[in-house]
Amino acid sequence: MKQDYFDKISQYILENQDKFYRLAYSNVENPQDAMDVVQNAICKALGHAGELRDIRALKTWFYRILMNESINFLRKNRRELLVEEFADEETYVCMQEYDQTENLNERLKVLPVEVQNIIRLRFYEELSLQEIAEVTGRNLNTVKAKLYRGLKTLRVDLEGLEL
Amino acid sequence: MKEMEKGRETYENVRIPEELQQKVSQAVESSRMKRERRRRLSRFLLRTAGTAALLAAALTVALNTSEVFAMEARKIPVVGGLVKIMTIRSYERSEREMQVKVEVPGVDLGETDNGLSEEVNEQIEKMTAQYEAEALQRADEYKEAFLATGGTEEEWIEHDIRVRVWYEIKSQTEEILSFAVKGTESWTSAYAQTRYYNLDLKTNTCLTLEDLLGEDYMTIADGQIREQIAERIQTGAVFLSSSEGGFAGIGEDVAFYINERGNPVIVFEKYAIAPGSAGEVEFEIERQ
Repeated sequence: MKQDYFDKISQYILENQDKFYRLAYSNVENPQDAMDVVQNAICKALGHAGELRDIRALKTWFYRILMNESINFLRKNRRELLVEEFADEETYVCMQEYDQTENLNERLKVLPVEVQNIIRLRFYEELSLQEIAEVTGRNLNTVKAKLYRGLKTLRVDLEGLEL
Repeated sequence: MKEMEKGRETYENVRIPEELQQKVSQAVESSRMKRERRRRLSRFLLRTAGTAALLAAALTVALNTSEVFAMEARKIPVVGGLVKIMTIRSYERSEREMQVKVEVPGVDLGETDNGLSEEVNEQIEKMTAQYEAEALQRADEYKEAFLATGGTEEEWIEHDIRVRVWYEIKSQTEEILSFAVKGTESWTSAYAQTRYYNLDLKTNTCLTLEDLLGEDYMTIADGQIREQIAERIQTGAVFLSSSEGGFAGIGEDVAFYINERGNPVIVFEKYAIAPGSAGEVEFEIERQ
């Protein structure tokens, strides 16, 4: 049987489990559900360990699986605000009837889950835009556009932010 | 900037449930076990498949050595008549979790029968019963190995084990009846078994290659097979080299059937002279 990266993937998962939990939790907003999402992502990743060709892609590969699991969970369980639904500016504007003083993490939730995750991965997990493009399976420009628009909608103070 | 930093702080301060670590380890461990089981099972199957090929080859040789039977039959000269081949026994049953489907053929030589049909039918009956029993035993062993390497009963049932015995008519004319009785198992091709019957309906005997090709049948067949192997290699086919146990001339008991053109077609079992991926390999031998 051919060699795969099973052990390396396991090690990476064990070391970064808190990060995965946080991202899942920010998506599904319930500790039990978040743990289920993380567990499913782990089983999926390790069950398909042979499909990871290049160990350098481990991080983006795993985040991609994790994000898909979160989105699958939401799709199955509730919440309509998913990937493409709020693509245009006007819809964002309509959604802006919220308290501007509220914590950023609460305000994030008006955005589509994908855009929320792009922001979290960029500023909380410090992935590069290129890495985020790999995670989301979108091209770099799309990721950039989504990120800017999301931040603009939230009226985040962009000063000093490295995008 | 401040806002984003604050957001990040809140994000990172999300309380991590105590069970997380345990759940993560569980997921990793169960994935590891599943993987181990898959590996062990495939190693086990590879090993058994290797020996199985040898056993199957030996068994085929034994079944094909019906010299005594052929000579016995040849002693009794009878004028040929109309012959029928038909399913004399057919049944489907479920044995443990396995599906068994059997179609046993029989020949009916009509009024001119000299006892050949009885012999043939008896032999077919014996072969099919034996194959069925052995296939079920192999499935039992496979199940045992599957459970021993961590598989569950439920997963086993999903394997949908089927054993099938049936026959195929290769050619039928007024002079010749050629057919194959086949046994296969759904989960491995290593034990697939085929027994060919080539009946001369004029004399009510079993035909041999010598009957069809003459005294030099070995030289003739070997020559044509070598030519065909060379041709097929040209078009990308792979054969085992002689050091790998490839073709080294036919034996007296080589398996063959007779095609519609009346030519013998020599059949090599899977693995015999070519990689398993090639399956059975056939060579039609022109009669000169």
